[in-house]
Amino acid sequence: MRIDVERSILQSADEAAAAIRALLSERKIFALNLLSSPGSGKTTLIEALLSRFDGKGGVAVVEGDIETEIDAERIRRHGVQVRQINTRSTCHIQPSRLLAVLREMDLSATRLLLVENVGNLVCPAEVPLGEDARVVLLSVTEGDEKPLKYPLVFRTSDLLVITKTDLLPHVTFDVDRVRRAARAANPAVEIFEVSAATGDGMSALLDRIETLRAAKSG
Amino acid sequence: MHELGVAGEILDVALSEAARHAAKKVTSIRLRVGVLRGIEPENLSFLFGHLARGTPAEGATLDIVEEPVRVECKGCGVSEARSFTWACPRCKGEGVSVTGGDSLSILSLDVEA
Repeated sequence: MRIDVERSILQSADEAAAAIRALLSERKIFALNLLSSPGSGKTTLIEALLSRFDGKGGVAVVEGDIETEIDAERIRRHGVQVRQINTRSTCHIQPSRLLAVLREMDLSATRLLLVENVGNLVCPAEVPLGEDARVVLLSVTEGDEKPLKYPLVFRTSDLLVITKTDLLPHVTFDVDRVRRAARAANPAVEIFEVSAATGDGMSALLDRIETLRAAKSG
Repeated sequence: MHELGVAGEILDVALSEAARHAAKKVTSIRLRVGVLRGIEPENLSFLFGHLARGTPAEGATLDIVEEPVRVECKGCGVSEARSFTWACPRCKGEGVSVTGGDSLSILSLDVEA
């Protein structure tokens, strides 16, 4: 006998993501899901966002990592609410885990939620977390073929942040090639070029994120 | 290794559907997998076989229907490709729009009562 099923394998993840989206909407919290290879600058971008929102309060951070609490400790020093999810053998944050963590956190004053996913361009791209915007980071030291090799993460991201641009004179990385490939995967992607070391491009990126956040949470 | 999580989800769905239809054995599972998903079929089948041991889906085969990407080219129309591309596979022109290729679905199960 044949049973017709016709359902997404990710249905249970989609349901948990929908529950997160509902929780965030109810509390008017704007959430970013940060994706990239290991070492391309997710934690550094979070620190820049914390500096930008310093004094305004209301930022909460969830750190995803296979094993350690290193990133969470780094963020905790900024005096914001931070929680660590250790994924062990799983290569991305599961929406059900994030939902459980969010339900335990005090989000009464939170306006901006930053989720640092596990460093990996494959699995986190497949799994929605109910975020308002997905940000993919690509450092210039990684090579300019990433959008061709990992198109799904570029297709599903709202913002592409090309990081470590101060190193461009020292590496072979064609920014225009990345821009064209990313746009082929996702014509609507917004592309930023930044250097956390020199500060170049950072304010344009932080301004854009603040605009997106304010549109949702005021 | 992201096939492991996918294999687990497939098994969960197969077992719950089989139970719902009071089937004793699942013999095959038909899937649609987009080429952008980065799924290695052999790895998926191996991991599924491992997880399914001792369940009604033990020995079930995975029948994978590949979903290509759809390339819309301003110059020469629509074609399909088996991997992501930023140039038209036919005329090599740029400025293409690439859609599809991201399915990850269970289409049907074959079961025995």
